[in-house]
Amino acid sequence: MSDRAADAAGLGRPRAAAFMAPALLLITAFLVVPALWTLVLGATNYRLTGLAAANPQFVGTGNITEALSDPGFGWSLWLTLLFVLGSAIFGQSLAGLSLAWSLRSAPKVVKAVVETLVLMAWILPSSVVAFLWVAYLSRHGGTLNAILQTPGTDWLIQHPMASIIVFNIWRGTAFSMLLFSAALSAVPPSQMESARLVGAGTLAQLRDVVFPHIRGHVLTNTLLISLWTFNDFTPYLLTAGGPNHATEILPVFIYNRALYGGELGYGSAISFLMLIINLVIALFYVRLLRERR
Amino acid sequence: MGEIRIEGLTKVYSGNVTALDRLDLTINDGEFFALLGPSGCGKTTLLRTIAGLEVATSGRIHIGERDVTKMSPGDRDVAMVFQDYALFPHMTVSDNIAYPLRIRKVDQASRAQTAARVGAGLGLNGLLERRPGELSGGQQQRVALARAMACEPSAFLFDEPLSNLDARLRLEARTFLKGLQHQLGVTTVFVTHDQAEALAMADRIAVMEAGRLRQLGTPAEIFHRPIDTFVANFIGSAPMTMLDADLVRGRLYVAGTTIEQEVAVRWSGPDPSDGPVVLGIRPEYVRVGAFGPMTVQATIRIVENLGATVLLTAETASGDRLQALVPDGTQPAVGAQVELSPVAERVLLYDEEGHLMTPATQAAPAPA
Amino acid sequence: MSPQAFLRRVGFVLFLAVVTAFWALPMLWLVTAPFDAHPGLTVRWPEWTLDNFRRLSESPYAFSSLRNSVLLAGGAMILVTVFGALAAYALSRVHVPGRGAILYGMLLLSSIVTGTAAMVPIFQLMFTLGLIDDRTGVILVLTGGLLPAAIFVLKDFMDATPRSYEESARVFGASPTQVLRHVVLPIARPGLATIAVWALVNAWGDFLTAYILLRDPTKTPAGVVMYTFYSEGGQANLPLISAFSVLYALPVVVLYIFVSRRYGFRFHGGIKS
Ligand SMILES: Nc1ncnc2c1ncn2[C@@H]1O[C@H](COP(=O)(O)OP(=O)(O)OP(=O)(O)O)[C@@H](O)[C@H]1O
Ligand SMILES: [Mg+2]
Repeated sequence: MSDRAADAAGLGRPRAAAFMAPALLLITAFLVVPALWTLVLGATNYRLTGLAAANPQFVGTGNITEALSDPGFGWSLWLTLLFVLGSAIFGQSLAGLSLAWSLRSAPKVVKAVVETLVLMAWILPSSVVAFLWVAYLSRHGGTLNAILQTPGTDWLIQHPMASIIVFNIWRGTAFSMLLFSAALSAVPPSQMESARLVGAGTLAQLRDVVFPHIRGHVLTNTLLISLWTFNDFTPYLLTAGGPNHATEILPVFIYNRALYGGELGYGSAISFLMLIINLVIALFYVRLLRERR
Repeated sequence: MGEIRIEGLTKVYSGNVTALDRLDLTINDGEFFALLGPSGCGKTTLLRTIAGLEVATSGRIHIGERDVTKMSPGDRDVAMVFQDYALFPHMTVSDNIAYPLRIRKVDQASRAQTAARVGAGLGLNGLLERRPGELSGGQQQRVALARAMACEPSAFLFDEPLSNLDARLRLEARTFLKGLQHQLGVTTVFVTHDQAEALAMADRIAVMEAGRLRQLGTPAEIFHRPIDTFVANFIGSAPMTMLDADLVRGRLYVAGTTIEQEVAVRWSGPDPSDGPVVLGIRPEYVRVGAFGPMTVQATIRIVENLGATVLLTAETASGDRLQALVPDGTQPAVGAQVELSPVAERVLLYDEEGHLMTPATQAAPAPA
Repeated sequence: MSPQAFLRRVGFVLFLAVVTAFWALPMLWLVTAPFDAHPGLTVRWPEWTLDNFRRLSESPYAFSSLRNSVLLAGGAMILVTVFGALAAYALSRVHVPGRGAILYGMLLLSSIVTGTAAMVPIFQLMFTLGLIDDRTGVILVLTGGLLPAAIFVLKDFMDATPRSYEESARVFGASPTQVLRHVVLPIARPGLATIAVWALVNAWGDFLTAYILLRDPTKTPAGVVMYTFYSEGGQANLPLISAFSVLYALPVVVLYIFVSRRYGFRFHGGIKS
């Protein structure tokens, strides 16, 4: 169906505008305005309390240059990079792909059970799963220590980054799994068959037959989960950025500095940098979407 | 009451596509009228503009006594059957048929009654409680017809009503639709790009091209006297053979053949001036053997069996192709040297611009 | 079976076992502890009881927070579905100038301006509007964040339904509102249900927005109360936490089952953004 009638239901432009108005208003108020506000706030020394609260001064790019030279920010950026690389780009992608691949040939019941478990991890409210992991990893009486026979190990203190990375793999693999199962089911079985007939092993099949088909999906998946992981606040619920800033990824850093510590101007400058990084990832993604249309 | 009069109708889509170009057309009351033409010529646009789904850029439309140009679709008292039937998937057949009455606030009981009555007339009893998704293509089409009939409009508009049916069903539906229209006597406009369908069903046909009317006439007129080479090419199951010819002092010469004819014999008006012309010959009116004044020597190249008839493609000495449609069993073999004789009264002459030169008096056949 | 094939088989089974354990183990606690008379942090076979749920009423905030969650998630769901459907319909059916730009702009915005990246300006904005500690404010912020994706998905859905349905109704004389009521709404129902569930689950699980915008403990939703239950100093009240987390998680599980039964779990990358 191309651009047939300009107006199938006879709505007319005025009514169409009225239909769109509430949504556009809300989006403008809560997405566009905050984005612009970040710019303005980021350029002031605004604080929640004290002198600067009453009379914020314009500091220009001062906050941004301050951020860029602040070791706390650099450290946080480094942790974020580790977090995104480890839990999303490697962890979730690989786990999602291997799950999607192996569940194809698994018995129906097994498939249903594993899929449901992985999906549950994804859709349960974040404060619930966070506590589940706090309990699971806890030093005294945690189930993990009981299984591994490592009593007294405090995972969240001794291995904080590894813990939240593994946690996020557990939490977010579902999306990659769903996307890759959809992608794999679109690979023509005849091509797999003929690869198997000429004696290709699993790896060769993946490389020669499957990968060319799912290349686009791999890219989509990587971009989306990177974006989401980059913006994920859930680790805060496990460690609140501690111990001693060891898990203070950017979202947590912003929260701790701006809303907890009250440095709104400085926090805005970091938010601004975060928005820019988001923009870069999102632009890639939207371009990808457009090309596929 | 159901006459549709179209005056100077123009439709320009955004992006400057002129889909209809100053169209004048009158569709008589009770007529079964076909809009025929190649893809993209504006048939659907014309139909939708009559229905009010598109707004005319300029020009007027009257239905009966009323000027409906500015009216909204619901006020025009027409019913439209869409190519995909547009049956509402969430309503039963009965609710679908009675939908126009629901809009008119007819009560539930009489709606069901009407749906049952109209449905029965179209052989839909027993299907009334089903959903459209549970019907065959032919049944869906009849539900769509029933829904259109239920609102008793002053005109029906059909957009390619048969194109979603398979070949066999299409023939049946053709006969059925024609019978139905005859019985109802309601003005009906239908769009098709299938010339056979138009010839078979319509009382009159409008052949369109690029938003303009090329020819308007009965099926017989259109078939036997296509007004120009465009229409001639478009009409007929086998395309008309076009031979370049020369008119010299009232005589017709076709290069490489012995066709040589005293044109004056067949012209009642003033003699046409000398120059190149095009000779149009329908394969249906070419016989094998030497008959009459227009005999051509040719070699049979292709023989296609069409069942009761056989289509021969032959090549003349000058390399022109000439086709002939002959009864099965009378066809010569491939490679045979034969004489082919176009029926002189059926041959058409077109001038260099492709306009028909043969005067109307020569058109022999009365509509069968 | 050749030894090689056997090994591969064993590897396959082992892999599935490890995967299942990895995902199941942390979740087991949610199934056992709430029904255990003396819940600890370790997963164990419970001494069955429902007493923990009764003790929920002893906490002043447990039930009120669930009510708040219903309010917030329900409000966001209704606004997202209604406003999203209206906008998507207009964008799909009426040629609005620059609609491609509007759509892509919105999609881009919603991926960039996430709750985390924009928490500071959103806090500021709500502060200025006097909507701090106001549940309406949370609903509006959540709605604004979910709307673009909802519009995008719904527009795709509307684009896939033929216009001839509406045109047909119109030729029979239906007014625009009748077209919407009789034809568009019923046909779009699966798409609307999908978006409603999606919005509900997202808003239900929200933590950050409510955490930064609500102060009054009688107004905070379950997500935040759950966090305060275990993050506030002192001995964690495990009977309370376990029973509460089940109640809080249950609606999501029920919806998941409903959605996967009804539509299969395949729509647009699933239930979360
Ligand atoms: N909504 C529209 N916007 C712009 N151009 C259009 C629109 N609808 C149709 N057109 C153009 O107008 C011309 C006529 O289209 P129309 O659909 O009337 O043709 P048609 O004769 O019905 O063709 P077909 O046999 O393929 O259905 C075409 O060039 C088409 O591309
Ligand atoms: Mg058409």
